[in-house]
Formats: sequence, C-alpha cells, structure tokens
Amino acid sequence: MKFAALFGKEFRECLPWMLLAAIVLLAFGSFFLRAQAYDMNPNRDWSRGYNPPGTAVEAYRLTFNSPLAMLGPWLFCCSIGLGLILGARQFWIPNFTRTWPFLLHRSARRTTILTAKLTAGSTALVLAIGGVWVSLYWYACQLEVFTVPPPARVFIHGWILVIMGLLTYLGTALSGLSEARWYTTKIFGIAFAVIIVGVTTGEWSLARALAVIAFGAALLLSQLFDTFATREF
Amino acid sequence: MELKNASKYIAGPGRVFMTVLIILIAVTAVQAIAMEAIRMFAFTKHTTERKSEPPRSDEEKRIQRIRQSSRQFLPDGTTHLIYEPRTERGRIIEPRTEQIYDANDHLLWEGPSDKKPYEYLSWAEEPRNYSEAFTPMQMRLTQTFAPLLARTIEIPVGTINNTEQIWRYRPGAECFEGYAIDGQRIGYISAAGFSDSKSKVKPLGAFRLFTAWCPQDSSIPTLLWQTNRHIYQINFEKRQTKLLFESANSDIETITLHAWKDLKPGTKDYIDSKKYRPLLVCITQDGVHHLILREPDQQLSLPGPRCSVTATRQSIYALRHGSGTVPVPSIATSPELYKEWVEQYRDKPRKMWTELYKVSDDGGLELLNRYDWVMPAPGRFMQVDPMLAAQRFVTHFSPPLYSLVFRLLGREFWSNVHRSANQGDFFYTMLQTPQYLRPLNGTVNWVLSALMMGFVFWYGWPRRVSHARFIFWVVFVGLLNVTGLLTYLALNHTAVIKCPACGRRRGLAQSDCIHCQAPLPAPKPRELDLIFRSCC
Repeated sequence: MKFAALFGKEFRECLPWMLLAAIVLLAFGSFFLRAQAYDMNPNRDWSRGYNPPGTAVEAYRLTFNSPLAMLGPWLFCCSIGLGLILGARQFWIPNFTRTWPFLLHRSARRTTILTAKLTAGSTALVLAIGGVWVSLYWYACQLEVFTVPPPARVFIHGWILVIMGLLTYLGTALSGLSEARWYTTKIFGIAFAVIIVGVTTGEWSLARALAVIAFGAALLLSQLFDTFATREF
Repeated sequence: MELKNASKYIAGPGRVFMTVLIILIAVTAVQAIAMEAIRMFAFTKHTTERKSEPPRSDEEKRIQRIRQSSRQFLPDGTTHLIYEPRTERGRIIEPRTEQIYDANDHLLWEGPSDKKPYEYLSWAEEPRNYSEAFTPMQMRLTQTFAPLLARTIEIPVGTINNTEQIWRYRPGAECFEGYAIDGQRIGYISAAGFSDSKSKVKPLGAFRLFTAWCPQDSSIPTLLWQTNRHIYQINFEKRQTKLLFESANSDIETITLHAWKDLKPGTKDYIDSKKYRPLLVCITQDGVHHLILREPDQQLSLPGPRCSVTATRQSIYALRHGSGTVPVPSIATSPELYKEWVEQYRDKPRKMWTELYKVSDDGGLELLNRYDWVMPAPGRFMQVDPMLAAQRFVTHFSPPLYSLVFRLLGREFWSNVHRSANQGDFFYTMLQTPQYLRPLNGTVNWVLSALMMGFVFWYGWPRRVSHARFIFWVVFVGLLNVTGLLTYLALNHTAVIKCPACGRRRGLAQSDCIHCQAPLPAPKPRELDLIFRSCC
C-alpha cells in the first residue's frame, strides 16, 4: 500500500513531463512519417541504386536509410531530454524546495521510497517514449504505408535509444543525490551516463551494446541505493 | 539483509571505477591534445629546417629522381623509370609532364603524360577506396546504435522508372531478402542460390567486402561479395549466386581485380579487354595467391611473398618488390621496436629491387627482368620522429598499469585488437588506449608515480580511516599516476583539524582520533540542550 501510494505520488509528478514528451514525439514523428509515406515513390527512392549499363557502381550508393531514420534523432533527443527532466524533477528539485524531510518522515523505509521513485520515473519514460515508438513502428510496418517494411533491427535500435534515456535518468538522479559541489564530483553521475550512452552509440553488436548498458545501469543503481541509504537529508 | 549493507560492497568499488573511468578519459583527452600540439609544432619546425637545407649536387638529384620514379614494365620485360618533375606547391598543370628513363638512366622521352609512346603492363588492384568497395568498417557503421537508426544495403531490380523488386541484405542471417514492390516477400538469395523458404537459406558467411558494377547489358548492379572463406558473384536480376572461390585452409586476406568487371570502353576503371583477360586474385592468410581467370576459365596458385599480378591475352605476369631492410610486421605495434629499427638502419643505404616474372600454366615463375637501385640513408627525417618524441613526453603522465597490461596480454593480443580496430570496431578502438599511451620512458614515469605516492602518504596519513584502505590508495596512485592522484583527491578529501586532546592533525572522516583515540569534541552545551535531553 505504501509503495503504491508513493508510486502514485511520484507518477503524478512525472505525468506532465511524460505527456509533453509523448505529445512532442508523436506529433513530430507522425508528421515526418506521414509526409514520407505520402511522398513514397519506389522509382525515385531507389533510383540511385541503378547505373548506366557497363559502369562501375559506387558501393555506398547501395545503402539506404530506413523510412524511420528521420525519427531517430527525435527519439534520441526526447528520450535523453525526458531522462534529464525526470531525474531533475525527482532528485534535484526537492533539494531546492527543501522537501526531502517531508517525504522521508513517512513510515516507509528509504528503500521503498527510492524504489517507488525509480519505478515511477522509469515507467513514465518507457510509457511515453517506448509507447510512441512502438505505435510509430507498427504504423510503418503496414503494407500500404511503405513499399518495403522497415527491418526488425530498426525496432530494436529504437528501443536501445529509449534505454539510453533511462541511463540518463539514473545518471541525473545520482548527480541530484550527491552532496558534492556541482563543479566537482556532483556531475560524475551525468558524466558517467554520457560515457555509457556514447559507447553504446558507437557499438554495432547488439549483445555488446546490451552488456554495456546493463553494466552502466547496475553501477548507477548500486550507487543510487547506497547514496540514498547513507545520505543525510 | 539491509540495503545499506548489501549495496556497500558493490557501490564502493563501483564509485571508484566510475571516478577512475571519467578521470581517465579526461586525462587521455588532455594527452591527445598535447600530443597533437607538440607534433604540429615539431612538424612546422622540421619544414622550416628543410627549406633552409643547402642545394643538392647532381648525383644527389639523380638518386632523388630514381627514388621518386615509378618503375614500369613493357610486356617484353623491358623496364622504364617514369619520373614526374615536381611543380611549384599549389600549382596544378594538366596534363602532367613526365620523363621516361631506361634502366641505364638515359632519358628516352619527355612530354605530357597522356601522349607517352609506351604502353606498360597494368596490374590487378585491391578495391579499397570509399567508392569502389564496401568494407567491414562501412558495414559496421551502418549498424551502429547511432540516433540515425540502422541503414541497410538494398539492391533494386527493374528499370529506373519501374522498380519491381528490392533485395535487402540481412547481416544476422548473412543473406539477401527480396521484396516485391507491393511489400510481399519474394524469397532469399544466399550461398545456396535463390530459395523461397527461409529454411533453405545457406548463409554467405562473415562479410569482408563487396564491390559492384552494372554489366554491359543491364543497369542492375552485380555484386562481387567476399566473406572470410568464399567469394561469390551475385546477379539479382537472374537471382543467381555463383561461387568463384572457396579457401579450404585459410581465411582470405585481400582480393585484387583486373578487367574483371564487365565495363564499357571509356568508363572509369575500364581495362582494355582486348589486351587483358579478366583476373581475380585472392590472397589467403597463408600467403598463397589464388588466380581466377576467365576467357578461358583457369585457376592457378602462386606461393608468397606478396606480388602484383596481371594477365594479358598472351601471358600471365607477376611483379615483386624487395628491400634489403624490411621491418618485421610486429614493429607496427611497438614504438620501442620501431626506434631500434630506425637506430639500426638510419645511417645505412638500402638496397631495393623490382622483379618481373612470367607465370607458367602450372604456377611456376620465370624471371624476365630485374631492376636494382640503392636508396640513400634515410637521414634526418627518420632521425627525428616528432610523433615519437611527443608520445614519449606525454606518456610520462600515463598509468604505469598500462605497461603491465601491455606486457601481460602479449603482442598477439594487441595485433588482434589493432586489426579489429582497423575494421571499425569502436570497442577495440577504445581498447587500444593502453597500447598507444603506455609510458615509453618507464623511469621518469615511475619517478613521477613515486612522487605522487609520497604526496598521498603525506596528505592521507592524518586522514586515514584504516591502514588497509590507506595502503590501497597509496598503491592505487602508484599504479595510475595522475589519474590515480585525481581519483584519490576526488573520493577522499576530508577537512583536517587539530586534535584538542593530543594536538596532532586528524581527519573528520572517523569519530576517534587516529593518534590518541579521543572522540571528536562535542559542542558546548547551551540552554535549550537541557530541554532536549530531558524530553529524550
């Protein structure tokens, strides 16, 4: 009951930001996707794959972006942006408004409070960004929308971008809980999340990307719980 | 178990790791910037010094000309030296002027390069530049988890105004998947040829390279597809996969092509098909050159060392270059070995040669001609390597741990890392850091580390919480140099006070004085404290 109440309270605080991110991504995403589907012309879109007979073909001209490629940067920015905002909303703002004691005085263990916060933040991010991504991908896979359905790897790729937002959220939360000054080790949480996101974007193997993400998330989570349990508010 | 206790054992080392990683990246970035700055400064200085060198004698000019000439062969084995006199920097003159000398250094002809009276043998070349070939590095770049989402290789089939099918490469299944323009799946093209069912697919193998062209009778690309052990030619219009070569014992290292692509005269990369036979050379890692020829079909094998090959309508030729002082391949991975090699050969002239062979039908080689020349001692350019000097200075601040890791893992491991990094693998590129930034001057590096350990000893002694932790940090700083020191300061800084009991310096991280075990002084009692005491 206590967990549910805490979860509800945290989720209510995340809800406006979650809705804002979902609306922005859905609006721009569906606009670009619809515009591209409307403009779809197989003869024009693959025209650079043809060459005059008896000529050499420049190999890179045979690589093509997925129809969802334009959504990628929006997905990435919304995911990282929402991660930063939710982390700041849940773990930085209470420092400025001095509301930590009001939350911690309840008859719930610190573990429960932190778990409720993290669950609410993660759920908000996954629902807002992941949910919109699933619906946009599902729309793109309809036969009448694009000539050839986008490959499954693009769908997984999109989810990796969503998870990068979760890592940013954890990094921001850790920085928010740190008692150090902002120009010293306080920013290390965000810096570490940026490094993990950077390494993942340069990775091509799914297994290795997931391993890097899991390792980064485990490290951030362990420190979050330790800091929250030992810190004096 | 309480969360506080459970997380203590993971969070502590995790915090150290996270801090080390961030500081290590920052220190590496500073080192890289410093290295490039030093290199640029040294290069500018070196260029200025070269400009002020005294003019060369006629003999020196002749040697310089031979050194800069390309050595070409006529089909009868005659060798010529083609020299292109240097123009002023920044001036482009088309067509370029060339001078042709015979083997005895007599000038035979001089004039614009497009009007030379000789037709030399041209050789099979590796398709390696960005437009000619698609490499594993490019393939990986299309698959990275970057914000622009994954790209795919797609081959359209039809005409430019009427695309009928799209064949998309699936890296996981190592085959092509075909779609009709209405989105329906047609089937698969794999090592087993065309199949309409996924169960009949036979993977092409781990991708290594592809190059593409449109044959003279079609505008649809045909692909020459190289994997670790196989080379296929894939025709999407006819839905055919033709196995050109299969290596049973060793992976294919490189391929070279000559007149293989069915191109129209006058187009880029065209080789006169009346004079040359289509030739594909597969060089396997065991050093064997496998020659695949067409018109008529023929297959030959040549043993190493590495050579260039060509096949005219009359004969097959091989060209080999040699040098009296060839550095061993491991030099590329070791600045120390490179330095030793430079020291050994920098003051000695080098003997060089080029040999032209005729290849018989059974793969035997018959020497047709050989040209020898002597390269002067490399001189000052090789004596001063600005990159090595910059690297030596900057790596004074690298972790000594890098050297230990480098030695422990061995040269073979680092060669594999280097190879994978060259193929565009980001993970291996990062793994190369200890190799490139390990301390080149171990003594200075260890002295700096010892000084830092001394500082930590002085700084940490009054702040110590336990002896084990204190020793750990001193050793840690010794192994990681500047990175270790910054990490130590980031994680262990506490204020120090003078102990009211014994008068010596003590940190505030623990309640009892490390010298006299006296507790921290309590604040003076005030009036309100009585109220609190009575109620608690």
